[in-house]
Amino acid sequence: MENNSTVSSPSRRDLLRMIGVAAGSAAMYQAMTSLGFAANSPYRGPVDLQGAPLGASVLILGAGLAGMSAAYELRNAGYQVQVLEYNGRPGGRNWSLRGGDSYTELGGHTQECRFDKDLYINPGPWRIPYHHRGMLSYCKKLGVALEPFVQVNYNAYLHSSRAFGGKPRRFREIKADYQGHVAELLAKATRQNALDASVSKEDQEKLLESLREWGALDKNHAYVASDKSSERRGYEKDPGGGLTARPIPSEPIGLSDILDSNLWQQIPGGDRFDMQTALFQPAGGMGRIGEAFGRELGPLIRYNAKVIDIRQDDRGVTATYEDTRTPGIGLTARADWCLCTIPLPILAQIPMNVGPTLAGAIAAVPYASAVKVGLQFKRRFWEEDEHIYGGITYTDLPIANISYPNTGFHSAGKGVLLGGYLFGANAMEFTAMTPEERVRKAVEYGSQIHPQYPQEFDNGVAVAWHRSPFTMGCFGMWTVDTRAKHYDDLCAIDGRIALAGEHASYIGGWQEGAVTSALDAIGRLHQRAVAAGTPAAGAMV
Amino acid sequence: MRSPLSRAGTRRVAALLWSAGWAAAGWADSPTVTTAANIGNASGAEIYGHICQGCHMGQAQGAVGAGHYPKLAGDPALVSWQYVALTVLNGKNGMPGFGVPPQQYEFIFGAVCLSDAQVAEVVNYVRSHFGNKWKSNVSANEVAALPHPK
Repeated sequence: MENNSTVSSPSRRDLLRMIGVAAGSAAMYQAMTSLGFAANSPYRGPVDLQGAPLGASVLILGAGLAGMSAAYELRNAGYQVQVLEYNGRPGGRNWSLRGGDSYTELGGHTQECRFDKDLYINPGPWRIPYHHRGMLSYCKKLGVALEPFVQVNYNAYLHSSRAFGGKPRRFREIKADYQGHVAELLAKATRQNALDASVSKEDQEKLLESLREWGALDKNHAYVASDKSSERRGYEKDPGGGLTARPIPSEPIGLSDILDSNLWQQIPGGDRFDMQTALFQPAGGMGRIGEAFGRELGPLIRYNAKVIDIRQDDRGVTATYEDTRTPGIGLTARADWCLCTIPLPILAQIPMNVGPTLAGAIAAVPYASAVKVGLQFKRRFWEEDEHIYGGITYTDLPIANISYPNTGFHSAGKGVLLGGYLFGANAMEFTAMTPEERVRKAVEYGSQIHPQYPQEFDNGVAVAWHRSPFTMGCFGMWTVDTRAKHYDDLCAIDGRIALAGEHASYIGGWQEGAVTSALDAIGRLHQRAVAAGTPAAGAMV
Repeated sequence: MRSPLSRAGTRRVAALLWSAGWAAAGWADSPTVTTAANIGNASGAEIYGHICQGCHMGQAQGAVGAGHYPKLAGDPALVSWQYVALTVLNGKNGMPGFGVPPQQYEFIFGAVCLSDAQVAEVVNYVRSHFGNKWKSNVSANEVAALPHPK
């Protein structure tokens, strides 16, 4: 980082070097959506907790998905379980904001969500890849209905405020034209014998044939306006029936314009392992999963419990907590073992007698800034006017995303969009605003893509994760160095305490990270519990 | 073990590309959202108002939930400009370090890096506002002389 560099912007020299290294690797969207890097879940089916010692108990701190999946499994295995949760609801970051909900952020601003019935946004996680098998298995066990999450919508937009006069382009246009031009170039190189050293003559014939298919090229291996290219990018006038049915092909965008626009960066987003079709969302909002866990666990969860001290001795663990509705009175919960899923920024501030390696790990992980904005509009203009059914528009504006509802198509009445999903510097700036300002800015920026916004806007909510009283940030941000130095220590059992959560995973920012870290941690706690045998009586208070 | 380092490396490259093409442009033409061109010239007040205030709040009064954001108004620890500058550079607990190069992070979008001059500006601002009355003329060179995160 050079001294004169700007917020969040690496130097141009760095960038050019990195771009050279990447050589066309698909970038922005991957990074944008990639909250974790090992997309493949290690979930291998239900955890084996056979042989729980009679009367053994586990105190679980946090009723998010890590804490509740652990509580579910431990209870079923015969452990005595108690869960302490700061919020008055289950789920943690697994959460949907619906009409009638109220949310007070740090700093004191309270938002009353005024969405119509059945409309919501997911301030936190919003999609479940098909290979997040831990998450999917709990949805199945808990009876949480799933519906498709549309990641790639060919008719949604790619938008750059600095390209095409600020006019958004359809994803299908950019993808077809980029692919067509690249295919044409590669075909040209092949026919000019530029590839003779690397591709045999026989394979060159097949390559040319495949390029014609892949790029929608004509018989001369050119990418031109034609029925063939329009079948990919869309027509100037669509084919139809009857007298006026004759289609008119559309004119492709030139290669230079595509390259200059940088919109090509967006094309491979849906090819990522964690963004590939099929993805899912719970019907009614992501929060349905946390709610279902909460119903399942019932009285095992104590809500409104703010943990203020965690103390272990050679026989068990005691958590001291306050009821947030009657602060100042210290209550205690005690068990033989403790699974702590409290987000690290908060845990770092809670006195706890663990060793220096775990304490060091807890203090080593800063949390990412992220903001989501939900906007209700008087009608579903994106469907009615623009024929966009679900999926995501990507933009270089600070809002970064506009995501259309993947359900309720053609519903009469109002509709709710995700009007922004911000990270980094822009998220910090939105965090520093009042909720009303965030909503106003999201409407202002979104108007550059959808001119209907000012006319149709109804109301909105905005969640800035660094203002979240129960996480103080969105998710743990590891560096290569902090992983190497602290990750194993963070996951290791310290005496009678184990940590779990997305922060204790290689699937950071994903719910699957929370679930798989919890199952891993309770598997190890179970082994210790079995080795320790039947505990002294009366552990759970 | 398959190398997580190489995966992380690939992702860092990808993230940088996003920053180049997109994030920088996103700062354009808004009075509220800072531009890449002018954040380098931003005063301490502007840096505080666009970044620090998100957690430490508008009057530096901090906030309390399950944990707390420290109140900077009247904090006696601010007597040491080095303490303040090192905290900004390195972060503390959940607070990101604003001297950490963004490419260090697996998820690069969370990172914001301030120059030494900007760190000096915001240190001076916090130490001399919100009822804090320390004479503060820390320079970029003085910040540069402190140990920085690698």
